Amino acid sequence: MSGILHFPDCTGTTDSARRTMASQCQGIQPLLQADRRAKDKLEDAKKRKVKRLKQAKEEAMAETDQYKMQRDEQFRLKQSKIMGSQGDLASEIEEQTQGNIQELNRSYNQCMESVMKQLLSAVCDMKPEVHVNYRLKATS
Amino acid sequence: MALNDNDVQKQIKHMMAFIEQEANEKAEEIDAKSEEEFNIEKGHLVQTQRLKIMDYYEKKEKQIEQQKKIQLSTLRNQARLKVLAARDDLISELLEEAKMRLSRMVVDLKVYQELLDKLVLQALLRLLEPVMIVRCRPQDSLLVDAAVQKAIPDYVMVSQKQVEIKIDQETFLPASSLGGVEVYSNNQKIKVSNTLESRLEFLSEQKMPEIRRCLFGANPNRKFFV
Repeated sequence: MSGILHFPDCTGTTDSARRTMASQCQGIQPLLQADRRAKDKLEDAKKRKVKRLKQAKEEAMAETDQYKMQRDEQFRLKQSKIMGSQGDLASEIEEQTQGNIQELNRSYNQCMESVMKQLLSAVCDMKPEVHVNYRLKATS
Repeated sequence: MALNDNDVQKQIKHMMAFIEQEANEKAEEIDAKSEEEFNIEKGHLVQTQRLKIMDYYEKKEKQIEQQKKIQLSTLRNQARLKVLAARDDLISELLEEAKMRLSRMVVDLKVYQELLDKLVLQALLRLLEPVMIVRCRPQDSLLVDAAVQKAIPDYVMVSQKQVEIKIDQETFLPASSLGGVEVYSNNQKIKVSNTLESRLEFLSEQKMPEIRRCLFGANPNRKFFV
């Protein structure tokens, strides 16, 4: 019960002395009530504080969720853009490949005969001869 | 000295006002502090969460970029392989056609006999054994016989060695092969293969770079080709 109650004129009094004095004075009642009210005010303030801190968490979460959605949207756009262009690239590469293959075929058809001639003559035209390092036995 | 009632009342009223004032001040203090802590807490939470989210999405974006690069590289690789496979196919076509033409050529017996003469002599001169066994296709026996007879004097002159040549009557080259001869040492441990297939294979492999260059053009990637 000693809370806010200061007795500015009774600095030296002990607790029990104060209580005796309090119980003896009836006019003290409003003081006690005031003390209680003061305590209640502080309790309320403390409760508000707790609530405010909880609010901090809630608001923080709400903000971050929003940010997350934003970022997510950004990402999705990027993703669809990148993956979309893949298809174009694939068909471009395919076109190029087909072009290269056609070029190969054309070149082959053009040069095949001369290559064939060279190859066949290499197979069939030969000069049978003995090895360069072959030593004839010395005639005695 | 005892205080009279009035003074007591006044004091009490003073005290009450004091109590109330103290309470208000303390409550305000608490409110102000709670507001401060609210801002700090919220700011801190928001910041840390934001950073986490940013990092997360940055990483995801990097992953996608990488994926794309990998896909692109794979596509390009596949394309390159397709072209190389096509080249390979054309080369195979060439070799098949060569075999076809050789098989047509050996039908002409005059041409084939001349060819066999050269093939036999060359094989003998490669092997240089005192006793040699000549193997051929069953249908070529007579032609090869003639070729061997022609070859012996040439061989002796060039090598200055006597020689005995047997024609293998037990084992033959497959009848479906293109032609030519194989020549073995007496114990059959050394072999010289002068069949048309083996010549084609050997020569085509040796000439492959040139063949490719002629058919498909020089390789642009070889900048320091001498």
